[in-house]
Amino acid sequence: MSADYSHLSSAILEQCFGKVVQAVADCLFSATTRTLGQITSATKFSRKEAALALAVLVKYRLVDFTASKQNPFLAEYSLRREDILCLLRYPRYVHLVQTKYGNVGASIAEELINSGSDTATGILIKCLAEGENKAESPESYRNTFLQMVTDHYIIKRPELLVGDDQDENVPKFETNECDFFRHPNIDLQLLAKIRKGEASLTEARDSTMVWNLNYDRFHQDFRDTIMVDAIERKLGENAAECFRFILKIMYNTTDPWQRKLSNQITFVEIKQAIERKSNNLDLMKYLDQYISLITDDSLGFFRRVGDMGGGVYVVDMEHAFESLAFACVESVITERFGSKAARIFRVIRCKKYIEQEDLQKEAMIPSKEAKSLAYNLFQEQFIHVKIIKKPGGGSNGPAKAFYLFQVKEKDTVRMLLDASYKSLYNTIERSNFEKNEHKGLIEKSQRLDSIVETMKERGETDEYIAEIVETFTPPECEILNKVKNRIKTLSKAELTLDDTIFLLQMYQHHCTSLPTGIRKFK
Amino acid sequence: MAGRGRGGKTGTLTAEQMAMLGCTKDLPVQTAPPPTFPPVLNRPTTLETTATQNYQLLWKEDFLNRMRDSPYYIVSASQESQKLEHKDWREKAMTRLKLKTQPEFNYKAMPQELNISSRKRRAADARPKLLAKKTNIEDRLKVLEQKELKSGGGEQDEVKQESDSEQEEDQDDPEAAMDDEMDEDNDYGATYFDNGEAFNDEDDNLDDGPVY
Repeated sequence: MSADYSHLSSAILEQCFGKVVQAVADCLFSATTRTLGQITSATKFSRKEAALALAVLVKYRLVDFTASKQNPFLAEYSLRREDILCLLRYPRYVHLVQTKYGNVGASIAEELINSGSDTATGILIKCLAEGENKAESPESYRNTFLQMVTDHYIIKRPELLVGDDQDENVPKFETNECDFFRHPNIDLQLLAKIRKGEASLTEARDSTMVWNLNYDRFHQDFRDTIMVDAIERKLGENAAECFRFILKIMYNTTDPWQRKLSNQITFVEIKQAIERKSNNLDLMKYLDQYISLITDDSLGFFRRVGDMGGGVYVVDMEHAFESLAFACVESVITERFGSKAARIFRVIRCKKYIEQEDLQKEAMIPSKEAKSLAYNLFQEQFIHVKIIKKPGGGSNGPAKAFYLFQVKEKDTVRMLLDASYKSLYNTIERSNFEKNEHKGLIEKSQRLDSIVETMKERGETDEYIAEIVETFTPPECEILNKVKNRIKTLSKAELTLDDTIFLLQMYQHHCTSLPTGIRKFK
Repeated sequence: MAGRGRGGKTGTLTAEQMAMLGCTKDLPVQTAPPPTFPPVLNRPTTLETTATQNYQLLWKEDFLNRMRDSPYYIVSASQESQKLEHKDWREKAMTRLKLKTQPEFNYKAMPQELNISSRKRRAADARPKLLAKKTNIEDRLKVLEQKELKSGGGEQDEVKQESDSEQEEDQDDPEAAMDDEMDEDNDYGATYFDNGEAFNDEDDNLDDGPVY
């Protein structure tokens, strides 16, 4: 975890939960575990405030706790650093659910996000109370919830262990992998009674089963979309559809977060799946050709490893994300230093080690320009230098040294990832600055909007409303529009930056052995 | 040569190594700090706005507003008071309304020390006791007044009785007893009073002018 990530996570938490939670999380970020007393003394907040902040962080699954080894009555808290970035991805999660399950699904996801974690009955009651989709019956909500559990978008939290000792200071939980996606028993009659106020939530049969969003299932979908989109851009829609089926088959036998290669898939399996589920006649007719097209492509997503059963294949995640991540790195270099620098980068990566003089020849760029560009890339740590020393003639002769340019791929990606964290932090800070700078104007416009809305509801005349609207002068209007545009651009930049960060994180997961915090069940 | 040490990776290049690469020739001599916003070589690509992005942007804005108004957005007491100073009555009322909505926590699934509401209850219990005590005192004073009117003598005994009864009450209510102790056991000179008249007397010598 870099300092840039620490700043970013701090800014995200401040945006969502305020200064107290931010300070407590900062305190936890800098240590493996801390106790409440340590947090209180480090942050200088009262015990009450620190406890409240910790409760919020535990509720939103950003902090874990365990009983201390020295003193089992004392809880030690640790921050789930990787999950803080997920707060920025909430809009993407909700959008994905909305496209898959419609407004009902989106409403369930929203409630789960708002409450951090809750029982199925509790979530459904909140969704129904919202009243956005009044036409939808409680049954459709229940079915969508269960479908989301089946599809692993919602996961059950480890169940609380109720021991003999009721006054346990630090609660313990039981984790059972078989239980994560077991359907809860949602009683619709009881649900109706609770809504009427005739029964309480504690009477529900599923009151011990607490659910929350399964972030990694969403990430799995995002990862698949990146791969399928890349194939669609390069090889067309049919090839993309074919690859989508390949991924589906892959998940039958392979852990979705297996790092390097998938388990083997036969041609027959792919053919059968497409014949069963696809209506694309072109794809069925030329399936073998589409598969060889994907296999032969330089992206290297899919690899043939045997001839049994019409051909045995594997999905090469390592190669796939190496290609995608370096396409991203090259585009960053093109934007920052121009296309010639990107060419130099490609040449160095292709040759692995190359001397300065050979570089300018290979890249076909004039020597002075090539030197300057290579130096710029070296300064920004996109490329590195390897020094090879050869002993000189005799004991007193100077050692001859060769300076070879090389690309240390993992280091380059890590550097770019840190730069992306920093940019994202800067974007958030700039956005906050703009909001604070024009706070008065923004609040005035919001007040005016609410007044106009109430006037419209009351049925006031248009002339009177226009008169009220005119209190917002044209120069004020102009400034406000400019500020709004600036904030919108910054928000868009946040989304785009998060896409880049996600891609680079996937590279780290599939192409390195670094701990990434991604696993099937958390 | 000796200064550079033997072997090992230094991570950075020396000036000599840079010269061999031919890089140092082009390096300008820096005399002033770099500009705050260095000029961009290439114009950044304009971001496209898709329907998906629009949905996400709107949702995010809505989510952040919701979070800011929720009881989980915690502002420390000092910040809260600072904020309230600059707000008008409408905003203050809104803030108080927001503060009224209590956060919902499943304290069973959290360490006990995070449950601050149990302490609150204890604090809330203390008040009715104090109120009850006050009413008792008032009643008692009335009774005493009536007694005083009836008979002029025997005052000392009653005062004794009163002090005894107060002591009993203190024993019943340990918190109140603690308060009393705190009130009594301090080194504040309650009888001391300075009206400030002697202020000028002390520095008379200084007002006379410098002494040579």
